[in-house]
Amino acid sequence: MKGYLGIDVGSVTTKMVVINEENEVIADNYLRTGGNPVKVVQDGLKDIEGRLDQAMPMEAVGTTGSGRYLAATLVGADIIKNEITAHAVAASYFIPQVQTVFEIGGQDSKIIIIRDQVVVDFAMNTVCAAGTGSFLDHQAARLNLPIEEFGEYALRAHNPARIAGRCTVFAETDMVHKQQTGHNREDIIAGLCQALVRNYLNNVAKGKELLPPFVFQGGVAANRGIKAAFESELEQEVTVPPHYVLMGAIGVAILAREETALRGEKTRFKSFEVAEADYRTSSFQCSDCPNSCEVVQLSLNDEPLSRWGSRCRKWEV
Amino acid sequence: MKTRKSAAHSRSTAKQCRFSGSAVRQPKASVGIPRSLLYYHYFPLWKSFFEELGLEVVLSSPTNKKILENGVKKAVDDICLPVKLCFGHVMELADKVDYLFVPRLVSVEEDAFTCPKLIGLPDMLRASLDKIPPLLDTCFDLKAGISPYRSFRELGRKLNRSSRTIRRAFEKAEQRQDEFRKAMQKGLTPSEAMEALKTKNETRLTSAASERKTKNEELRIALIGRPYNLYDGYLNMNLMEKLRQLGSSVITAEMLPSSIMEKEASRWRTEIFWTFGRRMVGAAFHFFNGGEVDGVISCIAFECGPDSLLGVLIEDEAERHKDIPYMSLILDEHSDETGVVTRVEAFLDMIRRKKR
Repeated sequence: MKGYLGIDVGSVTTKMVVINEENEVIADNYLRTGGNPVKVVQDGLKDIEGRLDQAMPMEAVGTTGSGRYLAATLVGADIIKNEITAHAVAASYFIPQVQTVFEIGGQDSKIIIIRDQVVVDFAMNTVCAAGTGSFLDHQAARLNLPIEEFGEYALRAHNPARIAGRCTVFAETDMVHKQQTGHNREDIIAGLCQALVRNYLNNVAKGKELLPPFVFQGGVAANRGIKAAFESELEQEVTVPPHYVLMGAIGVAILAREETALRGEKTRFKSFEVAEADYRTSSFQCSDCPNSCEVVQLSLNDEPLSRWGSRCRKWEV
Repeated sequence: MKTRKSAAHSRSTAKQCRFSGSAVRQPKASVGIPRSLLYYHYFPLWKSFFEELGLEVVLSSPTNKKILENGVKKAVDDICLPVKLCFGHVMELADKVDYLFVPRLVSVEEDAFTCPKLIGLPDMLRASLDKIPPLLDTCFDLKAGISPYRSFRELGRKLNRSSRTIRRAFEKAEQRQDEFRKAMQKGLTPSEAMEALKTKNETRLTSAASERKTKNEELRIALIGRPYNLYDGYLNMNLMEKLRQLGSSVITAEMLPSSIMEKEASRWRTEIFWTFGRRMVGAAFHFFNGGEVDGVISCIAFECGPDSLLGVLIEDEAERHKDIPYMSLILDEHSDETGVVTRVEAFLDMIRRKKR
């Protein structure tokens, strides 16, 4: 059996998945990026290799997410794809009739409009990360709740509090105020879920043609309170696919398989031994011009492998 | 700091220089022009005018980190990024020149204004920056019936030049600006067109432009936005370069004859009374209605008041032409390219997969 590896290095979490020729998920993992994408990719590789029953040759590898270029250099990728394309591919594989995808991750949220399995429109949050996973994380910590239980609390609410959702700074002020005037946690959390959905629909989804079936994916889809808020706002059913958190990784694995088949070449994947290699990142500020670019260097056994971050590209290896 | 500064600063000394008939040649006075805002639209006109008057024109560097940081530090907090950048450019020039040219551009068309921030720009600079050379802040207000020549005459007189010299400089400058516009209409960006005028090698550059077009013929993307948003690569994370690298040719309003934009914008039910807004809307209408493009991207600065309204007009038009994908990019102080790269890649992917 042949395997296809998809790696999604997001701002907050990193996801890996191995699929087979039938696009079935054989192994997967979900790790916190923890501000160290190199280490998390190495840990993830080691972990996923351990989850494969037998030695399975990787026929193709794809990377996506905001850390996709770094991850591709590390592992040797056949395709590097942006998150929007990757998510759309996975969504239309699992729910072929899908017309609208809501994707909310750690730092960004997107809407993807699909017609006949082709992306026809999309949008991402603009300059502000209001209402994404990291904000929910922060609020859960403030309310002393594990993020996993956040959604359940929302579902138990009877009178969701009205929270301002336009900006998370205002939302937080509002939440503190509600809390101090005696609203219970359930109502505040439900109110927050509604506010985030309202903000998402007014901002990210503004002007988009929202048609069912609706699919909700990305890490925040774990939060049943947000799903419920979407459903009540849209008055439609919203589907959370079983692999909601892996959709980017699955999408890019499918794309990697297509790409190598199209090229008729062997994979560029280096092997799982990458996990053990001595990769290091370092950074320095270039002072050759007033741009003072922060250049990041990835080295293997103290040999520079790749550099990025310079506007003029002079430092690239 | 240059020693000649004091001489040029004082009107009487400047007069003395002119009438003394001294054998010692005075060094040229210098005028700084910030490489920001309407530089992208008017630089050849301004440069040529000052040079014809015998001044040395000093241009600030292309936007860089220091300019951005200085601008953000000194400009009022809630102004748009392009104006903040202008502060940074002015600060770079401040101790290098005798004068700074920051005109008060109220109206450059009889029936339209520029933008409130451009109108107040000299005042904002004076209020926030202490040590700047004298500002040449001549008012250009066509709507009030002041002809461009009258404004330039006032400017020239401030510099103690004769009516004849001013008239000749103005004519030369207008001619230069005309050449600049025509070069852009051959598919060059402002900096490419300026380069072409400087090296008088327009043919080579335009053929390079058309070569690039054929090479990238696969996709053709229209960019909509104010010139200072589209052509300042630091501000927009090299958007234009990125599109070209990803295999698309780029077309902008500057590459079209103005008459197209006027005609298209007049289809809107009321008159749009902002010059650059009208150009943006006109260009968008043109591209969505048979402009032969595969997609349209608009570039708007986060805190731009006029564009927050005009963006809606463009979005509405995009709604009516769903066959041509549209995306809007909001520019702010981000220094990492990831956000722009992801959006642009996804946009081109979408167009390509759709075409298949």
